[in-house]
Amino acid sequence: MTSRREFLVQTGAMTGGLIIGFNLPAAKAKAAEPPPAANAKVYPPNAFIQIDKDSKVNIVINKCEMGQGVFTSMSQLIAEELDCDWSRVVPVAAPVDPIYNHTMFSTIQMTGGSTALNSSYDQYRQIGATARAMLIQAASAKWQVEASSLKTDKGFVTHPSKGRIAYGELAEDANKLEMPKNVPVKDAKNFKLIGKSMPRLDAHDKSYGKAVYGIDVRLPDMVRVMVVRPPMFGATLKSFDASEAKKTAGVLDVIRFGNKVAVVAKNSWAARKGRDAVKAEWNTSGREKISSASIIEGFKKDAATPNLHPKANPDAIKETAADAKALVAEYEFPYLAHASMEPLNCTVNFDGKTAELWSGHQMPTVDRDTAAKIFGLDPSKVKVNSVYAGGSFGRRASKDSDYVREACEIAKVLKKPMQLLFSREDDMKGGYYRPMAYHHARISTDAKGYPTAWHHKIVSPSIMAGGAFAAMMSGGADPTVTEGVTESAYELGKQQVDLQMPTNDIPTLWFRSVGHTHTGFVMETLIDELAHRAKANPIDFRRPMLKKSSRHLAVLDLLKKNTPLGQGKKPKKGHAYGVAIHESFNTVVGQVVEASLVDGVPRVHHVWAAAHCGRVVNPEGARTQIAGGIAFGMSMSLYGNIEIENGEVTTTNFDKYQVVRMNEMPKIDVFFVPSEDKPTGLGEPGVPPLGAALANAIFSLTGKRVRKLPIALEVAKQQQAST
Amino acid sequence: MELNINGKAVKVDASEDTPLLWVIRDELNMTGTKYGCGISMCGACTVHLNGQPIRSCVTPASAAAGQKITTIEGLDSHAAKAVQEAWTTLSVPQCGYCQSGQIMAATALLTQNKKPSDSDIDAAMSGNICRCGTYNEIRSAIHKAAQKMVKA
Repeated sequence: MTSRREFLVQTGAMTGGLIIGFNLPAAKAKAAEPPPAANAKVYPPNAFIQIDKDSKVNIVINKCEMGQGVFTSMSQLIAEELDCDWSRVVPVAAPVDPIYNHTMFSTIQMTGGSTALNSSYDQYRQIGATARAMLIQAASAKWQVEASSLKTDKGFVTHPSKGRIAYGELAEDANKLEMPKNVPVKDAKNFKLIGKSMPRLDAHDKSYGKAVYGIDVRLPDMVRVMVVRPPMFGATLKSFDASEAKKTAGVLDVIRFGNKVAVVAKNSWAARKGRDAVKAEWNTSGREKISSASIIEGFKKDAATPNLHPKANPDAIKETAADAKALVAEYEFPYLAHASMEPLNCTVNFDGKTAELWSGHQMPTVDRDTAAKIFGLDPSKVKVNSVYAGGSFGRRASKDSDYVREACEIAKVLKKPMQLLFSREDDMKGGYYRPMAYHHARISTDAKGYPTAWHHKIVSPSIMAGGAFAAMMSGGADPTVTEGVTESAYELGKQQVDLQMPTNDIPTLWFRSVGHTHTGFVMETLIDELAHRAKANPIDFRRPMLKKSSRHLAVLDLLKKNTPLGQGKKPKKGHAYGVAIHESFNTVVGQVVEASLVDGVPRVHHVWAAAHCGRVVNPEGARTQIAGGIAFGMSMSLYGNIEIENGEVTTTNFDKYQVVRMNEMPKIDVFFVPSEDKPTGLGEPGVPPLGAALANAIFSLTGKRVRKLPIALEVAKQQQAST
Repeated sequence: MELNINGKAVKVDASEDTPLLWVIRDELNMTGTKYGCGISMCGACTVHLNGQPIRSCVTPASAAAGQKITTIEGLDSHAAKAVQEAWTTLSVPQCGYCQSGQIMAATALLTQNKKPSDSDIDAAMSGNICRCGTYNEIRSAIHKAAQKMVKA
């Protein structure tokens, strides 16, 4: 079998730099490749664009489509420059190849950090423009006319006297040409697709049950596998009794691997029943004493002895310590599970010589290399198929490929097609959480209420430590724990940030907006508290502190203009407004929330959001990313809580891990700051402000600050305490 | 056992207690119906039993024998067409994993109630979780489908 990389090298397509793919002439294809003659219209695929004879344009997307809309928005970038017929565009998931590596994290192919459009904006437009230039050159040769006399329109090259010729008829000739360098991209004023709400290209398949997710992959004679995992993080397997499990109809095998037991069955239900019938004995060695409460108590103690100082200014400590009027606040955040609608799964076919994987992969290179190591194969012998991810929110960017690793370890023993399935409980109990966090802040202010000194302590386990991204830590500090505090756009006076990153057995991971999930909440509720002390409108109060950031000011302008809080309107009786503004992933998002308490439960009625995210490639897609971020932020801050009691996770399914539903969804209005800048992140930045804006609104309703999450639980406790 | 799925009689080899969901997904390899929670809390597995939306993850397949089962693959009613068209036109899905269940619930609603109010939609749709937060787009699509059905 020729690997894709070898194939591209052999055919001369890989010459460094950007690769424009056209139909590779059949003669160049190696005999081992699937014969192109089998489908006369489609030749073997090349790197980013394939145009078939029918002028259908396949656009290869090197990011995982997990709901954020990359199949559509990234296709718009190429189609804009290529000038092809949008109705003939088909997005295709990229295989693993260095050609598809991320332009910023250049050693791997990956989706994350809200970087899809930012990292692809120049690259994909350049590819589209180069392809168009080659098609023009091919037409010029065919018609024997000057290239400068040719234009393009919706998939045709046109000439005043020669008429028009379809891209599909030129593709093969174009592919033989040398790739031109430095082809200019369009002037933005000529954009036809970028800036337009092109309907999602995956909407049809996803509305007719046709989209294939990892869990939908079907291979001939594929077995299903479920796993008995330790009931407590760090527990070890003493022994197990599989006699009942083996009697379960449909169960084929029970295999111990390391600290776990795999139950192999004919179908998913048999695997589940067999798995649940395994009686396992565990060595828990004192882990029964661990609980959410005990962990946070430990964090509070750790705060007294911080060992890292990502931002140091001893004067900030001195000034705040000596200030009896300083604002002092402490915050507690629970563990959170991503709870994507599609539970984790991975399908593997390992035959002893080659391996093939199917899953939604945010880091397919890492997953491939992990698989290769387990199988003892060269990575070129491992093919990774990226299929639609039924949500992810960071979970499928596993730093150690946890569920892929598990699947491969079992597949190595089975040597036949297998699908590893997680039950919802497996998924929710399995860790890789947004870590628990504790914050302590002590702030001194001037006479107008603006901070002069800010001493901030954070205690939270590292996400990056021990994983592929550990190299991004500086001086031992994990920036994903302190982001949003250390790089705040606010003028905070003298600032000292102390950090402690305790370790325990609970695996942590990025979670939609990562550290900003807690730092955004802390910063924006603290600023609100300062504004309240100063008796100022919370939008106006922020302005002088943000005067150095024109993007923040532009967002505040939109909130001022478009929201009732900005306009100084009084809320309905029993309702209140709250505001927050936070930058994450180079995008600034501000939100005004209108909330009330209904039978003591916080209720969000309306959210107005304003965002500065550079140029908006697909306005409707951008709007729904912000709206989705608001729903996610509501679930996370109102209810989100992975509770650990007596060593075990007790919030194991949607009955106990509550998320926002249709009847709670607020009305949402989204405004974008018009911008010509390169697009910045949008998948995550809608999340962080919501919780803070809601907590600030609740303060207006109850007079009490919410500093312990989840909000709904804390508000209920506060009300109980006051009655 | 014999089941009637999408208008066809099919013989399946499954134990009595196998949830309908796994018969549909594993025995019949119709993968449009999704597994989400297994305890009827998320609605991803919604199918129609005699036109009524049910949670196939907690319905034993044997209990559905002899009745009319419809999955996303078999939707072809007037209401379903309006719903799926509205879903596509308004680009409702994000990750899309919950949308089969959402569409089954919405189709059942519009079959019974030609002009649902927002509170009718809340009542009919709040059993279906969408983690991407497409609820407002789902609501708009249901209203759009209702309008389309009136015009047609």
